[in-house]
Amino acid sequence: MNINLKIWRQKGVKEDGKLHNYRLENVDPNISFLEMLDILNINLVKEKRDPVAFDHDCREGICGSCGFMINGRPHGPQRATTVCQLHMRSFKNEDTIILEPFRAEAFPVIKDLSVNRQVFDKIISSGGYISANTGEVPEANETKIEKKYADEAFLSSACIGCGACVAACKNSSAMLFTSAKVSHLSLLPQGAKDKDARVINMVATMDEMGFGSCTNTGACSAECPKEISQENISRLNQDFIKSSLMGILKRNK
Amino acid sequence: MQELFKILTSSVGRKILMAITGLSLSLFMAFHLFGNLFLFVGEAAFNSYVNKLHKLGFLIRIAEFFLVLFVMSHAYSGILLWIKNRKAKKVVASYSKENTSSSARTAAFTGSIVFIFLATHWSTFWYKFNFDLQGMSYYYVVTESSVGFGSPFVSFFYIIAIALLGYHLKHGIASAGQTLGIVGTKYEKIYNNVSSIFWFWIPLGFISIPVWFGFIVRVI
Repeated sequence: MNINLKIWRQKGVKEDGKLHNYRLENVDPNISFLEMLDILNINLVKEKRDPVAFDHDCREGICGSCGFMINGRPHGPQRATTVCQLHMRSFKNEDTIILEPFRAEAFPVIKDLSVNRQVFDKIISSGGYISANTGEVPEANETKIEKKYADEAFLSSACIGCGACVAACKNSSAMLFTSAKVSHLSLLPQGAKDKDARVINMVATMDEMGFGSCTNTGACSAECPKEISQENISRLNQDFIKSSLMGILKRNK
Repeated sequence: MQELFKILTSSVGRKILMAITGLSLSLFMAFHLFGNLFLFVGEAAFNSYVNKLHKLGFLIRIAEFFLVLFVMSHAYSGILLWIKNRKAKKVVASYSKENTSSSARTAAFTGSIVFIFLATHWSTFWYKFNFDLQGMSYYYVVTESSVGFGSPFVSFFYIIAIALLGYHLKHGIASAGQTLGIVGTKYEKIYNNVSSIFWFWIPLGFISIPVWFGFIVRVI
């Protein structure tokens, strides 16, 4: 199959970028999207031109490194799929595919399709941890976890932190990411001790980092490669209300 | 107090404020429609209903004060969030809108139109009812006068504005459910069922009044 590509080329953080046209012929429909970009880059290097920069690591859909906008959608047209797991058979012969980086003020473009998502680490470090005793290894199965909570926490923990939710959101809000990380820990007994501080601090950091506010449009969940649900956002809001009120009551006692 | 301020000015806090004020105003809308429906009962019934409300005196003024306060804080939070969101966003030329419902995307716009409608609503109906009746009956002001449905322009604008209000609430009430943490709990189903009363049936009830008195009555 033959593919026409329009790829966002930007030399550095402070430079302006624009879409460049490329054409690839005789592409095997069974290769992955990133392999297609590899082929393009090999061609570019052979022609002594600058290859397209894009993030990737495991190429198994679990590391959260890859991700950019394909025809205006994070990770492309297929549901619950990261770019690395997307194949060229999802496109038609002679399709024009537009590739742009994830865009948000909080995600500055490093080069081409690669963006800086360090702000996610800052959100994590402000509350994405648990308090545990050091010393002897605890007895296995000592802490019982109700199946319902174990399942929900597991679903939330599936978040790979790729940033697709921010890119999909019309407000560039990081609520789905933050709420998944809060739920993942706060639903479990191990994370219960830091529950109140976690939700308040993580929301505060999220606000500081220049993300927009969630308007509950649901675009994040629809585009999330791990199908993190809107229930996480609802749960975060509920925790936020409870923890804020409890905090005020406790301190004024 | 300082803590409360910090919580309420966080992004989630502002939305909680929007959700609570928005839901309160929706409840008021139900009460407002209850009064309006007396128009269908007849002139005497409607006039005596309005007179009864007037007799409550300062209680009504207190309620009105809170209504205006709620509308203003809802709009104020909404504008602040809108500005913040515009700042957070960078344009993606190819951005696809297919995963965002249009009621959610246009909530700020429909809200602004509803606000313009409210401003005219207060300066016409509310002002006439309270200060400028000039011997007309309340029923006459609504059904015949030039600020009421005697004017096809007013009727038309009213219908459009209420339809947009319903559309605003379609997103607003669902969004409030998520902001207050109802989504995902056992109350979600009840909440969603009740919400359609507020975004569909109540606006429809309001629209039925200009449709009947502004157009149908005049034709038959």
